[in-house]
Amino acid sequence: MSGPLSSSPAAGAFSRRSLLLGTLAGAAVLATGCTGDPVEDADAVTPAQVDQLAAQVQVQETLVAAYASALTAAPELATTAAGLADQARAQLDRLRAAAPGAGATSSAPPAPGTPAATATDGPPDAAGAREWLRTRVTAAADAHAAACPAFTGGRAALLGSVSAGLRGQAGQLA
Amino acid sequence: MSDAPSTAPSPTAAEDAALQSALAAAHTAVWGYAVVGAALPLEQREPVAVARQVHRDLRDRLAGLLTSRGVEPVGAEGGYALPFPVLSAVDAAVLAVTLEDGTSSAWTWVLDQATEAGTRELGVAELGAAELRAIGWRTAAGRTPVTTPFPGLPD
Repeated sequence: MSGPLSSSPAAGAFSRRSLLLGTLAGAAVLATGCTGDPVEDADAVTPAQVDQLAAQVQVQETLVAAYASALTAAPELATTAAGLADQARAQLDRLRAAAPGAGATSSAPPAPGTPAATATDGPPDAAGAREWLRTRVTAAADAHAAACPAFTGGRAALLGSVSAGLRGQAGQLA
Repeated sequence: MSDAPSTAPSPTAAEDAALQSALAAAHTAVWGYAVVGAALPLEQREPVAVARQVHRDLRDRLAGLLTSRGVEPVGAEGGYALPFPVLSAVDAAVLAVTLEDGTSSAWTWVLDQATEAGTRELGVAELGAAELRAIGWRTAAGRTPVTTPFPGLPD
């Protein structure tokens, strides 16, 4: 055989991670307002995209809150869901870093397709907590996937990746 | 005015290059899943066959897309070397994880580079599908956690 898998075309995609990381780091720099001229940033966002990014941050904030509610209502879920909740929080941190001006709590309107009530409601009971949570994880994955095509560069990659991660979480809660 | 052909790069040149990487990853996965299947007992090969067919279909779709844009699609390499010996069912599962993680990286790069919204729609769908397959193989490989918050992105 020739062409080791580690240098195969798939691995070629791995090697491009550094470039992708650079793009995302650029997004984070933009978020902190440290760039000299954001207009010159090829990955700059429009005002409408700023609002949409804030909406996606809110989607994720709602999901993180849903994890907390479900774990409170059904502590036995911790075995499965505590690690998933940690991952959801990590996703929230990265979305905030990529969203210019996003603070600890977003004031953006809910993203399309996201029930506004999910920010404040809770699972019906302990027995239903798992399914209640799975539904919300799926809704968040759908919302990020729907938002992804409206962006370019590192933000599109981040939204797509977060959506994919949440699809995996939903599968674990099924 | 010159009649010379324009040398301006295609507006989708970067996207096409990323799609070529995704196509190359699909070629690799089609090959790699044959190795995965060979290392598993017959009764455990169904998910392998399903995944291999998914990557075949994806390969054909990507090749068609690139051809429609006047871009010559990359072909499979003459051969590939395994990153580690595949001697057991666990080894096979780990190889499958490697293949799907490579697929996720390729599609994340497509999302990063895409200029067409339709390509990003394809990318986000394929990235989600690859992560679901990867979770199944991480489970089979005994890895924890089986989920990852950022499929395809650097740690």
